[in-house]
Amino acid sequence: MKLTVFNGSPRGRKSTTKILLEHFINGFMTTDGNTYEMAYLNRVKDSDNFIKLFQEAEQVLLAFPLYCDAMPAMVKIFIESLEPLCDRADNPSIGFLVQSGFPEAIHSRYVERYLEKLARRLGCRYTGTVIKGSANRIEEQPGWMTRKVFKSFYELGKTFGETGEFDEQIVLKLAKPERLTAFQLWIFRLMLKTPLASYNWNKMLKENNAFKKRFAKPYAI
Amino acid sequence: MKITILNGNPNTDNVKFDNYLKGLSGLLESNEHTVTVLQLREIDVRYCIGCFDCWVKTPGECKVADGSRHMCREYINSDLVLFASPITMGFTSALLKKAHEKLLPLLLPYLELVQNECHHVSRYQKYPLMGLLLEKSKGTDEEDVKIITDIYKRDAINFKTSFCFTKLTDDPVEEVANEINRI
Repeated sequence: MKLTVFNGSPRGRKSTTKILLEHFINGFMTTDGNTYEMAYLNRVKDSDNFIKLFQEAEQVLLAFPLYCDAMPAMVKIFIESLEPLCDRADNPSIGFLVQSGFPEAIHSRYVERYLEKLARRLGCRYTGTVIKGSANRIEEQPGWMTRKVFKSFYELGKTFGETGEFDEQIVLKLAKPERLTAFQLWIFRLMLKTPLASYNWNKMLKENNAFKKRFAKPYAI
Repeated sequence: MKITILNGNPNTDNVKFDNYLKGLSGLLESNEHTVTVLQLREIDVRYCIGCFDCWVKTPGECKVADGSRHMCREYINSDLVLFASPITMGFTSALLKKAHEKLLPLLLPYLELVQNECHHVSRYQKYPLMGLLLEKSKGTDEEDVKIITDIYKRDAINFKTSFCFTKLTDDPVEEVANEINRI
C-alpha cells in the first residue's frame, strides 16, 4: 500500500504533528511492500506539487494541529487548491489526524464534521479522523507521559498498513478523554489553585525576561 | 456600537460581495454605528506558525510586525466583529482563517474551565460579540452553513464572547442591518 501524508502543521518539520506521524509511519512500514511519501504544507510555494501528489495518491492522510477550532489557514489553502478535483472518479481514500493542546477531544469534534463532509465533497472514501488532545509540545513531555501515546500511534499505523483502515479501538483510546470526567474536573480545579497550572508558561516567560509583562494589554485604549 | 467587519473575500473579481458589505456598512452608519471594514486581501498578515511567542516572549503581541497588530487593536476595541467571507470548499476563506489565527495574542496562555471544558484565560476585560456573514458558492448546502456556524460558536467560547448570528448574502442587506441593530 502506498500512503501519501500531508503534514499541515505551520511548524512543519519541527511540529508535534510530525512526531505523531513518525510513530504512525513506523508502524505502517512494518508491512512488506508498503511505501509512503510525506509533504509539508507549510512549504506553500510547493502547492502545485501538493495537488499532483494528491491526484496520484492511493491513500491520503492529512494531519494538522487545531487552530482556532479548525484547520490552520495553510491547510485551508491546500483544501481550496483541491476544488478542481471534486468528484473526480479516481480520488484517493482520505483520513485525517487532528491534534490539539487541549486535553479533551470535544474541541476537535467540530472540525471532524467538516473533514467528513470534505471527503464527501471530494468524492473520496473517508477512512476516519484520529483525534489526539494534550499533544502540545509533546517532544518536551516526559517519557512516562508519551510512551503509551507513541505506542498507540505505532499500532494505529501498523493496522492501517495491513488493512487500510484506522483501528476503531485505538482511535477511541487516543481520543480520551472526550470530556473531562467529574474526577478529572475536580483534580483540574485543585490544580488551578496551585502554581503547577501555570508552571510551564511562567517558566518560559521567565526565561525570556517577559514574566513581568505577562498580562500586558498592548491594544487597550 | 463600534463594529469591525473582517472582509475575507480573497477575490477582487467578486465585486458583488464587496458591494454587499459596502451597502451594509452604509446602512449601519446611518444607524449611528461606527463601522471599520478591514479588507484582509490588502493587508499584509503573515501566517500564525504556533510559536507562542505572543504569549511567552512579547506578551499580547505577535512578534511579527505585520498588519495583524492593527487588526487586533480594531478587534479588541469593537463591540461587534463581523466575520465575512465567501464559502470555499465548505468553509470560510483561507484569507479570513489566516487573519483569525492572528487574534491569538488577545488571550493568555493559561487555562481555565469554561462550561467544564479547558479554555484559555482572558487577557482583556471585554471581547467583542461575533457574527458571521457568508456567501454561498456552488455546492454550498445547509449542512455546510451549520458546520461553519458550529465551529464559530466554539470559537466564541475561546474568544470570551457570544456568537450572535449567521447571515447569508442571499438575505436582504436590511435584514442583516436590522439583526445588528437589535443587539
